[in-house]
Amino acid sequence: MQMHEGIVQDIKKGNRDAFRNLYDEYAGYAIRTAKAITRNDELAKDAVQEAFIRVYRNISSYDPKLSFSAWFYRILVNECNRLLNKEKKMVPTDTSLMENTSQLIERSKESVADIYGIIQHMADLYRIPLLLKYIKGFSEKEIAEILNLNQNTVKSRLFNGRKLLRNQLNWRENEYGPNGRTS
Amino acid sequence: MDQMDERVKKEILDHTEDSHDTLKDDIWNHIDQELFQEKNRKEKQMKKKRKSKIIPIIIAVAAGVMLLFSTQTDTGLALIKQIKDLFEPEKQITQSIEGTDEETDVILQEGKDAKYVIYIDEERYKLVQGEESDIITTKEPLEDKYPEVSMEIKQFKDISPEEMVTTLESKLPTEYTQVTETESVKEPVVGYKLHGITGSEWDSPVTNVYVVSNNNGGSFVITEKYFLEAAEGHGARFYAMLQQFEIVK
Repeated sequence: MQMHEGIVQDIKKGNRDAFRNLYDEYAGYAIRTAKAITRNDELAKDAVQEAFIRVYRNISSYDPKLSFSAWFYRILVNECNRLLNKEKKMVPTDTSLMENTSQLIERSKESVADIYGIIQHMADLYRIPLLLKYIKGFSEKEIAEILNLNQNTVKSRLFNGRKLLRNQLNWRENEYGPNGRTS
Repeated sequence: MDQMDERVKKEILDHTEDSHDTLKDDIWNHIDQELFQEKNRKEKQMKKKRKSKIIPIIIAVAAGVMLLFSTQTDTGLALIKQIKDLFEPEKQITQSIEGTDEETDVILQEGKDAKYVIYIDEERYKLVQGEESDIITTKEPLEDKYPEVSMEIKQFKDISPEEMVTTLESKLPTEYTQVTETESVKEPVVGYKLHGITGSEWDSPVTNVYVVSNNNGGSFVITEKYFLEAAEGHGARFYAMLQQFEIVK
């Protein structure tokens, strides 16, 4: 979504109401995204707050011809990762999982209780594109812009992530039944 | 979206709900205070003053390095350095590192496709030629606790310096919390300089990005990355090496 030139101009002039409108429009999904990425409400709060402050202070560098959503979410995701790094709580991206998907499934079997848990146990290279796709409905092109990745890379990560998810759901349903309870 | 997608979406949205907009209101109150309230503005100014103490020190060191170089670089060499073969293969420079003058041997290195030359302090750094760019980085890998220290040199043959600056002005704020206004510079290279930093702690990541014309409609983008405490070490050494950067026609 492109940002209307008038809103950008108003925010550049320091118009609080214009910025509040922008906040109201973007905060809901931004909070959901940050909560899902950081897995921590306090970190999510800090990340969203800092992302909006950075948007306000750097609005002059935003090109209104480009997608505002992609620009904003790139700032937000970077901020989530920065805070996670700072907290030393970053889930390491284990590249071995890329080649050994059964390892990921085995690990997940032990501790996940629901679909959200399955996704949160995935490596970040699958987890973050999936969260962006499902929460805000971003396209592959937009996710590529946000994560600064090639679109084909995103396509492949979404494909493999969904495949893992489907396999894991099938396994759970065979093991526990459709409601996730032990038969 | 198939059935699974709908199910996944619903579960994620259920788990991430901000009931009664609690977080939303709380976050707005903080943003409002930080950006719009008078009381907080004063606190912010005080914070800025504290942070700004670091900047004059960096500027002073950079200015010191500039002065030393302007007096000690071989001016005769400057006249002929467009011709690659006439560059000295090795020379000694004096640079001011953390307040102390230091004699450093630098070695001539050719960049990717011999489009530029630069003198490298090979005691501390190495030039790694890649497919798309060259990276000057520490000879010995740094411990994990340190943020990245590197200087990347990349040519964009079809993008003018001005177009490149516009792109970078949008990109940098997504990676660094404080980005200063782009400026035209004559040192260490003639071109544009963008600067970004995240935080004010010893390990806060810092970047300086220089955009230089390749004299043929395109640009060279030189991206320095280090951390705040290394501004007077790696930062000053990158600055000194960059003063020796020359495009070969």
